[in-house]
Amino acid sequence: MNDIKVNRRGFLKALGWGGAGTALTACDLPTTITLEEGKEEVVAYVVPEEYVIPGIGVWYASTCTQCDAGCGLHGRVREGRILKVEGNPDSLINNGSTCLMGQAGVQNHYNPDRVTQPMMRKGAGLQPISWDDAMAELSKRIKSTSGSKIAWVSGSVSGHQSVLISEFLSSVGSKNHFAHETINSSVWSQVCADMIGDAEPRLRLDKAQIIVSFGADFLGTWKSPVHFAGEYAKFRSGQRGMLVQVEPKMTLTGGNADLWIAANPGTEGALALGVANFILDRGWNKENVPGTVKQALAAYDVDTVAGLTGVPATKIQRIASLFSERAPSLAIAGATVEGQANGYDAASAVMLLNIIMGNIGNTIEAGNKFPERALRAKSGNTGDLVKFAQGLEDKKFDLLFFSNSNPVYTAPDALRVKENLSNASFKVALTQHPDETALAADLVLPLYSSMEDWGSHVPAYQPEKVSLSIQQPLMEPLYKDTRGFGDVMLSLLKVKSNAYNKFPDYYSYLKTAMVNMPESVRSGLKGSRDQMWTNLLQNGVLNAGSNTPKLTPKPRAIKAATVSKNSEYPMHLVPSARLGLWDGRHANIPWLQEAPDQISKVVWGSWAELHPSTAGKLGVQNGDFIRVSSASGSIETQVYVHKGIHPNVVAVPMGQGHSAYGRYAKDRGVNPLKILDAVSEEKTGELALYATRVKVTKTNKSEVLVKMGGSETQLGRGFVRTVSADQFRRTEGEA
Amino acid sequence: MSLKNILENFSDFRRDAEVGGHHDYEHRWAMSIDLNLCIGCNACSTACYAENNLGIVGKEKFEKGQAMHWLRVERYWDETDGEFPEQGASFVPMMCQQCGAATCEPVCPVAATYHTPDGLNAQVYNRCIGSRYCSNNCPFRVRYFNFWSYYEQSWPEPLNQQLNPDLSVRDKGVMEKCTFCVQRIRTAKDTAQREKRQLQDQDFVTACAQACPTNAITFGDTLDPNSKVSKAWRKHQVERGPYTHKKPKENAELRGYRVFEELNVDPSIMYLERVRETEV
Amino acid sequence: MEIKDKIIDENLGWQRINEDVIRSMDAPGKYYWITFAVCIAMVLCAVAAEIYQYRMGMGTVGLNNPHMWDMYIATFVFWIGMSHAGTLLSAILHIIHAQWRKPIYRFAEAMTTFSLMTAGFFPMIHLGRVWNLYWVLPYVSDRGIWPNFRSPLVWDAFAISTYLSASALFLVIGMIPDMAILRDHAKGWRRKAYGILALGWRGDDRQWRVFRKTYMLMACFLIPLAVSVHSIVSSDFAMSIMPGWHVTTFPPYFVAGALYSGCAAIMTLFIILRYFFRMEEYMTLNIMEKTCKLTFAIAMVWSYLNIIEFASTWYGHNTYDKELLINKANGPYAHIFWLMLFCGSVAPFALAFQKLRRHMPTMFAVSLILQLGMFVERWMIVAPTLSMAHNPHQWDVLYGSIIEWAIVFGSFGWFSLLFLVFVKLFPSVSMYEVKELTFHLKHEMEEEKEAAATSSKSKAGAVGKPGLEGA
Repeated sequence: MNDIKVNRRGFLKALGWGGAGTALTACDLPTTITLEEGKEEVVAYVVPEEYVIPGIGVWYASTCTQCDAGCGLHGRVREGRILKVEGNPDSLINNGSTCLMGQAGVQNHYNPDRVTQPMMRKGAGLQPISWDDAMAELSKRIKSTSGSKIAWVSGSVSGHQSVLISEFLSSVGSKNHFAHETINSSVWSQVCADMIGDAEPRLRLDKAQIIVSFGADFLGTWKSPVHFAGEYAKFRSGQRGMLVQVEPKMTLTGGNADLWIAANPGTEGALALGVANFILDRGWNKENVPGTVKQALAAYDVDTVAGLTGVPATKIQRIASLFSERAPSLAIAGATVEGQANGYDAASAVMLLNIIMGNIGNTIEAGNKFPERALRAKSGNTGDLVKFAQGLEDKKFDLLFFSNSNPVYTAPDALRVKENLSNASFKVALTQHPDETALAADLVLPLYSSMEDWGSHVPAYQPEKVSLSIQQPLMEPLYKDTRGFGDVMLSLLKVKSNAYNKFPDYYSYLKTAMVNMPESVRSGLKGSRDQMWTNLLQNGVLNAGSNTPKLTPKPRAIKAATVSKNSEYPMHLVPSARLGLWDGRHANIPWLQEAPDQISKVVWGSWAELHPSTAGKLGVQNGDFIRVSSASGSIETQVYVHKGIHPNVVAVPMGQGHSAYGRYAKDRGVNPLKILDAVSEEKTGELALYATRVKVTKTNKSEVLVKMGGSETQLGRGFVRTVSADQFRRTEGEA
Repeated sequence: MSLKNILENFSDFRRDAEVGGHHDYEHRWAMSIDLNLCIGCNACSTACYAENNLGIVGKEKFEKGQAMHWLRVERYWDETDGEFPEQGASFVPMMCQQCGAATCEPVCPVAATYHTPDGLNAQVYNRCIGSRYCSNNCPFRVRYFNFWSYYEQSWPEPLNQQLNPDLSVRDKGVMEKCTFCVQRIRTAKDTAQREKRQLQDQDFVTACAQACPTNAITFGDTLDPNSKVSKAWRKHQVERGPYTHKKPKENAELRGYRVFEELNVDPSIMYLERVRETEV
Repeated sequence: MEIKDKIIDENLGWQRINEDVIRSMDAPGKYYWITFAVCIAMVLCAVAAEIYQYRMGMGTVGLNNPHMWDMYIATFVFWIGMSHAGTLLSAILHIIHAQWRKPIYRFAEAMTTFSLMTAGFFPMIHLGRVWNLYWVLPYVSDRGIWPNFRSPLVWDAFAISTYLSASALFLVIGMIPDMAILRDHAKGWRRKAYGILALGWRGDDRQWRVFRKTYMLMACFLIPLAVSVHSIVSSDFAMSIMPGWHVTTFPPYFVAGALYSGCAAIMTLFIILRYFFRMEEYMTLNIMEKTCKLTFAIAMVWSYLNIIEFASTWYGHNTYDKELLINKANGPYAHIFWLMLFCGSVAPFALAFQKLRRHMPTMFAVSLILQLGMFVERWMIVAPTLSMAHNPHQWDVLYGSIIEWAIVFGSFGWFSLLFLVFVKLFPSVSMYEVKELTFHLKHEMEEEKEAAATSSKSKAGAVGKPGLEGA
């Protein structure tokens, strides 16, 4: 120790080791004690598991399942408990970062209200039952129900879980797999598929100099938020691109925009066409589209569009000129555009803008597709929910399976899912939490949390390389009567198929499947099969090569429909999504309930956003309760008044209003999804989430709106100082 | 501080603002937070909850203003008269600034908060008697008091299994605040010592910096000239020590600033100004 | 000198003085016991609230992030302030030989001690971990841990304990001759107790000389102490960085405010004692007049210091200070701010009119208004700064919780309780000094008479001077 400077703490530690070290060992040791140094003296009273080193955190790679973006994780495990997750730096999706939902994954795992044992409906209530009895009952039902009467409702699902669901359904002869996600971008995907031939193109935010986002909250709730936030950081560095956000209610992305525009809801497509027309009219970019398209655009001159959208003509011209000045550009469309009855056309208009600007192949590249088609993500959407609801209405299903999906909560009342559930004689919920659907089911099968379970994930949005992420358990299951999703799937498969008898559990299946993948996929992995598997678990992700076919734009003439006036229900309802509670699946996580909404800063409840002019007319202020009524129902919630919303819009966030789902979620706030009208997007059949018209009335109730922050402005105190982008480029633009 | 000392070093004592703290620092942990990159997503705040055993207070106590978010993302609207906030919102992650001349330190009657040779404002929970003067004297208002025994409600079984054993769970009557994840600093230092090497930049970062999806937060040691944070501070010509108008930046267009610098508290967090297009 | 202008009737016999004062210590009547019971109930309220707060934490007080301090500290400053009037009457007026203080200084001094005993509770009650209170004291610890001598709260601990012991000592010393009188009049255990407190007082010449010296010495010691105590209390605020607290004039402002509220309290107690103990002959309207004049002068000093503070803030152009001032006058606390200015600066003008000064019901009401003004002044010092300080994100308005109010309420019960016990155990009017007063007054009158006799002679001579009458 002669060459090492011993400080006071080090000295005391050495003293502690020499003297009382042996006596200390059974206590909770500080992390800093080195076992290697004092091994001989240390004799633990309790011999821990082989991989447990008391006081030392060990990191294991896994995958986040809080949303379906598929971020890679590193989980810190100490004394056999998972304590915290961090992003996996090897993951190309999140590059070592996480969002708040990812951080809160541990609370999903340790949630005090998990379902801990199988339950079966006996009379009105659910009674505990053993797994053996549950599975016996279930296999009896599977055997006795004809395949076409069996349906599976899931969320987005990918990897081997997706394979097992399809295998199970084909083993019983069913084709009824409904993947339902309330927060999705399936209209945009359809537009991409139709207009550029790739449903999930890779978006190069980092290359763009200007992004015009029509309602795509890519920093918050769109496709792969953490990935896009990372790309956004690149976009904002160096030459610093400019972000224009067009949406009726300010989202997290809108809050970061250089220019935030509230067009009349439903007219965003017309705005895109107006911008496109202006660009073509000036002759800035005409070579990219045929004459017919141009002719169709001529109807959208600036003044007409300004009248239609409520966006001043000068603004439209400005956007158009920015578009042409600042190539490369990128235009994207998100939920508020997709969620209209004319969503497909509007999103097509946005894509047309990209085609005109020559962005295809530049800022919009062909997306990477996982070579194994069966493992690719089956992205959830709301079209499937509509189909499922219709099937239920038509009494098409007898045996229903729900996994990772809570349609009783997320489906609008107008779809009558809850009422019609009784049309199916036996409903099975594979779930981790006692959600509304589980409580309505006849058999509840408790699953491992994602931190106890195995899995593989192939994210729908693939960044620069094809990648697959492994989900491995970060600790032993908390409850002995829970089972892994894959394990349950294997048992279900074994009811009618013998092909899976060789796999005792999902782990063996997954391992076999992974190490037997084609060479092209496991290019990064070398060595024997066991070594490959170990490497895979160590890395957590498998980044194979990239496949980049060329995209061919197929521009077409588009006519963007407008939104008619509705005198009975004059306002538009925006059931806004938020990074945090998501579609309501995270309402049972206290950290996320206590994390303020990024824009309104409200916690632990619901609120309705109103523009000051609307609130003034209505005579309400922060905290007053209003009634938001649509043709399909009404909700009452508190008002938050701010300017980041179109005056003709009332925005109520999704996520609250659970009637079950544990102590943190139950009976808290309202669920705006419930009062949505059953309007479908005309071309894709998706549920038009943003097309519901409502009226807003004042009630006499008023309470303090529980939110973070006193003053809404800085009062000129220079907390956040702002400089011009020109200055930024002068000083830091070289990078 | 003998009279002789005062007389001999009078010029040191009569400077316009106190330098404060230790003068033989081992490290000076600091941050650079780029508000051009910060999107206000709250990942840092939740990561802080996970790392530092922050209590969940629930709706009623949040309403009273008794939340324990060591790191909060403040959101401000622009003071414009327009119909819409066309330039979006302003977000700023606000946590303990680990001031070099911290106002919280001299007022604590029992010296429960003091300056470490690492340049941190340490809070000794066991010593704290809860006079709350430190919080009253904090211009940033980033000190949080355990008004209740939050642990009784915050982590019902088995949520308590998530608690980080590297630091304590605080009981009522104790002040707490951002520590720059001192437990990570401790672990990294010990690891470095065990491996018989110097602590290196990016050996570890704080939980917030690690979670940040846009890497807006850079953490490191400003005494290490090669650390990322040192480079950032140098690049933006922000220096430690009290604020003085005598040393204008060579390039006034650089974005670095420290919040409330004019109060002479010498914060350890440099913010980089938010950027917005002017012509839109 | 007309009887109207006299401090006290010089013809009060010494025997009569003894009897009158001792009569006030007779077995208490029905109203006394009712008041006593009410005070006990108020204290019990506070005790119950404190037990609850102790068990649950400071959250019960409704404190929050910006408001780490609230009513406890404001009430603490209020009680400390009240203690200053006793020192003013007994010590300051003693060394400048203001005779009129003599009949009323005793209860004022008792008030000093009792309000300190009340005030001392608040720094303890407001601690998050009161069970570790002793860590503030510089006791010798084997771990070598000392309190932080840079903290104004540590100065507080020293200042208050010193002031409390000094003022209690001053009270006890000042009562020695009276104790001897009581000893000689009392029977049973009282006689013994008074005997002990009288410290063998015989009233001989040497004892009187030593007593005088000691008393003067204590008075001289107490005056700077009183000034420093409230300066130190003001340091709790002035040494901070917060807008509205970091004010240069705070030490004199606090001392002035302290004397102000103390004088107002003396007026209140004066009227109560005068009425209940029939002490009209001792607590005369003339003394009341003098007290009122003194109070008025202090009120004007206080108002002046207020104006200085506002003006220097206004012209200082410190964003935080100036906005706070504007927000005080115009923001959520505006009604309290204007109430403070009305009670503190407008209401005392009632003291400028002789008719009102001699009208006891009015004076009673005015004295209560002044005290209310001074109470909300303390509240206006503590709360708005915390509500609207540097960081606007943490702006909030707080009006305390029921627990907090119960303890503040109970502190008034506790103070009254101590006072009630005092008036029945100790003479609330100093017998020996009143005797002194009448004695001196008599001499003065006689001297004046003689002087008048001689001057009337010379006057008579002067009348005859020619030219004046016709002028």
